[in-house]
Amino acid sequence: MRFILRRIGFYLIAFWVSITLNFLLPRFMPGDPISRMLSRSQDKMTAEQVLQLQRLFGLDNRPLLQQYTSYVADVLTGNMGVSISRFPTPVSEVIASQIGWTLLLGATSLLLAALIGNLLGIVAAWRRGSLVDSALPPLLIFIGSFPYFWLAMGALYVFGIMLGWFPLRHAYDSELDPGFTWAFISNVGYHLVLPALTIVLVSIGGWMLGMRNTMIATNSEDYITMAEAKGLKPRRIMLRYAARNAMLPSVTSFGMGIGFVVGGALLTETVFAYPGVGYQLLTSVQGLDYPLMQGLFLIITSAVLLANLLVDIVYVRLDPRVRTN
Amino acid sequence: MSTPITTALSPIKPTRLSGRSRSGLLHGLMTNRKAMLGAALLVFFILLALLAPVLFPGNPSRITALASQEPSAQYWLGTTAKGQDVLALTAHGARISLFVGLIAGLVSTIIGILVGLASAYFGRVIDESLSVVTNIFLLIPGLPLLVILAAFLPPGVGTVIFVLIITGWAGSARVLRSQALSIRSKDFVAASQVTGDRAGWIMLREILPNMASNVMGTLLGCIIGAIGAQAGLEFLGLGDTATVSWGTNLYWAGNEGALLTGSWWVFLPSGLCIALVAFALSLFNYAVDEVTNPRLRTVKKRPATAPLSRMEDAQ
Amino acid sequence: MSHLQPWKIFRAAGVVLAASALALAGCSAPAAQQKAPASTAGGKDYSDALLTLPREDMGTFTRNFNPFSPNAAPMTQQAIYEPLLIFSPTDGKTTPWLATQWTVGPDGKSVEYTVRPGVKWSDGEALSAEDVVYTFELQKKLLGSYDYVDKVAASGDKVTFTLSKAYSPALFELGQQIIIPKHIWSEINDPAKATNEKPVGSGPYTEVTRFAAQAFELRKNPNYWQPDKQKIAGIKVLAFSGNDGANLAAVNGDVDWADQFMPNIQKTFVAKDTAHRQYWFPPTGSMINWQLNTTKAPFNDPVVRKALSMAVNRDQVTKIGMAGYTAPADCTGLSGSYEKWKNASIRDACDWTKLNAEKANQLLDEAGYAKGADGKRRLKDGKPFEFKFSVGATSSDWLSVANVIAQNMEAIGVTVKVDSPDWAQVVAGYEQGDFDSGIVWSPNDPGPYKYFAATMGTKSVKPVGTKTFDNYHRFGDPRADALLDRFAATSDEAAQADIVNQLQQLFNEDAPVIPLFPGPEWGAFNDVRFTGWPTEQNPYASLSARSPRTVLILTTLEPRKG
Repeated sequence: MRFILRRIGFYLIAFWVSITLNFLLPRFMPGDPISRMLSRSQDKMTAEQVLQLQRLFGLDNRPLLQQYTSYVADVLTGNMGVSISRFPTPVSEVIASQIGWTLLLGATSLLLAALIGNLLGIVAAWRRGSLVDSALPPLLIFIGSFPYFWLAMGALYVFGIMLGWFPLRHAYDSELDPGFTWAFISNVGYHLVLPALTIVLVSIGGWMLGMRNTMIATNSEDYITMAEAKGLKPRRIMLRYAARNAMLPSVTSFGMGIGFVVGGALLTETVFAYPGVGYQLLTSVQGLDYPLMQGLFLIITSAVLLANLLVDIVYVRLDPRVRTN
Repeated sequence: MSTPITTALSPIKPTRLSGRSRSGLLHGLMTNRKAMLGAALLVFFILLALLAPVLFPGNPSRITALASQEPSAQYWLGTTAKGQDVLALTAHGARISLFVGLIAGLVSTIIGILVGLASAYFGRVIDESLSVVTNIFLLIPGLPLLVILAAFLPPGVGTVIFVLIITGWAGSARVLRSQALSIRSKDFVAASQVTGDRAGWIMLREILPNMASNVMGTLLGCIIGAIGAQAGLEFLGLGDTATVSWGTNLYWAGNEGALLTGSWWVFLPSGLCIALVAFALSLFNYAVDEVTNPRLRTVKKRPATAPLSRMEDAQ
Repeated sequence: MSHLQPWKIFRAAGVVLAASALALAGCSAPAAQQKAPASTAGGKDYSDALLTLPREDMGTFTRNFNPFSPNAAPMTQQAIYEPLLIFSPTDGKTTPWLATQWTVGPDGKSVEYTVRPGVKWSDGEALSAEDVVYTFELQKKLLGSYDYVDKVAASGDKVTFTLSKAYSPALFELGQQIIIPKHIWSEINDPAKATNEKPVGSGPYTEVTRFAAQAFELRKNPNYWQPDKQKIAGIKVLAFSGNDGANLAAVNGDVDWADQFMPNIQKTFVAKDTAHRQYWFPPTGSMINWQLNTTKAPFNDPVVRKALSMAVNRDQVTKIGMAGYTAPADCTGLSGSYEKWKNASIRDACDWTKLNAEKANQLLDEAGYAKGADGKRRLKDGKPFEFKFSVGATSSDWLSVANVIAQNMEAIGVTVKVDSPDWAQVVAGYEQGDFDSGIVWSPNDPGPYKYFAATMGTKSVKPVGTKTFDNYHRFGDPRADALLDRFAATSDEAAQADIVNQLQQLFNEDAPVIPLFPGPEWGAFNDVRFTGWPTEQNPYASLSARSPRTVLILTTLEPRKG
């Protein structure tokens, strides 16, 4: 219990530091949102409009400390303000309309990669010398070595354009109305295949190799020999004894992976035009949209911290040795 | 299913002629197939990078009017939409890509070593504060930080290296710290302290050499990460678009719609090169793992139908 | 071994996962393939089809149709709200829209518009002169625009603007303002922050029937004042995160209209269906200039500016940098929007915008910038003649242009270094006057007044270190001021033409910026489903979906009926 409390304490400090950084970092960037808007829209915006927009957006010119205190107060009350690059849509609405897709894509890919990767790793460790053990890890590592966007663009080109097996964009066919109907859900799944597949392909090698190595190390432990000596079936030993213990590092990685689901799908969403927050993150940074940037970073940081905390709690339950520390 | 015990006690045929290496890591690596393959690939690319100005003299990004030509006898890999020689661009691209990757990886690892060792050795206050800093850097979302830093620092190779180091050192610091901690608690370290060796001496000469394989693994991981992150940054246009590197080649390929116009020869080479270099480093990493942890070594599949047991991994 | 083994469960789960993925694919595949429109329109009726177009710079849409925000959803200012009049630079015609006629007062200090009778808002209320007055008052209150307007008043169906000074361009500036309904907006507490999710407008497509982050649909305004011109069923806009996705959709035939940059458009887009696909890039965008910071030596010398201009190979710039999508500029410095204003004698007798490296070398030698032994020139203080060329990293076509120009400069011994940070940094440098040279775009108003004011007027010159939003190169010629004032004071077309001729002569003499090429207005279409597009032969508008002219296209298109 004390362990958990210490961890929570640490996370609160980390949270505070993160939100302070979230506040300071954008303000170190040169320029202001309106000049950025001007540079982006170029001939569509006139010089007079710049002054007009400064008035419209009501940009904050108070001293930094004042801005910071009201920022912290806003964070604690959940008020994320109004986005500049989507003026005047509130930040919470901008994020809410997109984050579901990012979570769907990220969580699905993470789950699939972790599950399949770990399974393959277990099989590889159990069947040393087989094809699964000797050929598959290097192959998967090679596939995972390609820059992600390269793989994604290639997959889109081959499977989407040339073969026409999968849709080329978006999360579902725009003719359909969202709802809990089979037509809609299956359509979402169909659109999810290529984006999720590319992410899985890139990351699966790491999961497999990690699990395999840990399993091999675990397999040499005495209690495994004991289990074999007692005459237990190999499959049972593999799963209920070896895998359970080898799983611990995977749990940690999985937890960290959850945290990064929100911020990590930028390139996927760009290539597949998937309507998530990843691209939003990039454009809000480039457009110096302070409120949106802060809102997004807040969500990402909270997700990461929360995931880490959950992992710590789960880990304590899984591994009693940690409790005694 | 036959009993595992009898299998375990039966004589084990060695799968490799070489015995246990006595001269350690290096010798083990030199006899490892994976390490050799990885090293060969790396040497190839390093040579390509060093010899690029000789093999392809002149400015590789010279704009000509021979746009989007397919690979031919004159241009082995064809030309880009701006009439540039793809082969020359790829060869010259190796220079910056490898340079940035190596430097960023190296410096990240060095910082990781310093922080990890100091944290593990000195303990208490220094450990707590360094850990907090490390954890904070770990928890800051990497991509947004990359984007922000790259966006507001002046463009150039230096910026890319700096950005990669800032976002990369924390991972290695954490791994190396935990390894250093477990070594620190060993007796020979205590013995060294008792005999009055200075802290720096102990860290460098007692603890660090015992972590060699870990450091090597971390270094390779950092370099791979740096190469990949560099490519991603440059593809988004956040690197220095004026330099020739594999990432910026891909950026231009995207902007000129290489795939859309069917010019696959512009798109393929740089991506393949990045993959091969990363793969070579991964192979090397794999090999280091195998050499230092004998259990991980490749075994040939037993011709008998007896179920495999983990005891056969020895050798 | 009859009890369930975990291993078997895992394997079964894996099979189920794979099977369901395939099943999902199987279930939805037919639905997806129906989407692609038939490429040979053999007898299909598209009366119910929605005009589909992409938007590549937003990534996702948020339900925000606020007419004051520049970041509202696409089509807000094109399909939902309308202006009083529409000026089209492609054919030079002005079309009365919500106003039927207008007059400018004799002293140039007042403008009067007659509001069209019988126009209704999409909720059934009548549109009157009161709405026009309210629009301008709210605009002034929220944004502070139109500072030259003293008073705006309605009487009957006429709206009269009283200006504080004679300003002839006001006719078009005021005329192109979109009009909003008073009865809606006077009820809103904070109009600047209203997201206007269910907009009420006078435009042809105002009803939002479907809205999602990735796409939304607009359907007919039930009370539109030109019902015979609402031939298409509605509009659908798709969101993309960058040109690649949008170009892919266009190439694949999934959209009818595309107004973003497409590389090698003939081969990638048109060649797939030459019978139906066309592109047209009229040179009616803003002028793209190479600006030199005239506060720094040697750029304060017009001879140097002209010499540098002569070394630029504009053929290469337009053919390689801009993929042949535009043509070189001439000495008038005017883009294609102002074709009818161009001084033909200057345009034909031009010398400093044509490639002539020998003359350039000669001019620089004479001006005292000698070449050293290494073939590179030196400035008068002995430093090497080298400088930076700024351009934003994301504009790949302009980046290519910069690279071509840098290569061209080698021929005259001048070293140019292309500097490509984020656009925001480039513009920040421009605003402060802290730059050497770079690519800049020009204002693109209905008349050339703003263009010359921004390139040569002294009023727009701010000192280095003071932030400015136009005339970054900080050049002013007092003779231009006099001409500009005279232009603003008169609305007589002949007098204006004469003044603009003189302005062009000044421009030719001063060379305040180096004109490179007129920026093309991107646009391509696929007429499998809809016909009536503007083309070079029928230039009633450009193919941009984001301009004040777009509503002309929306009210001209009609679906094929087989």
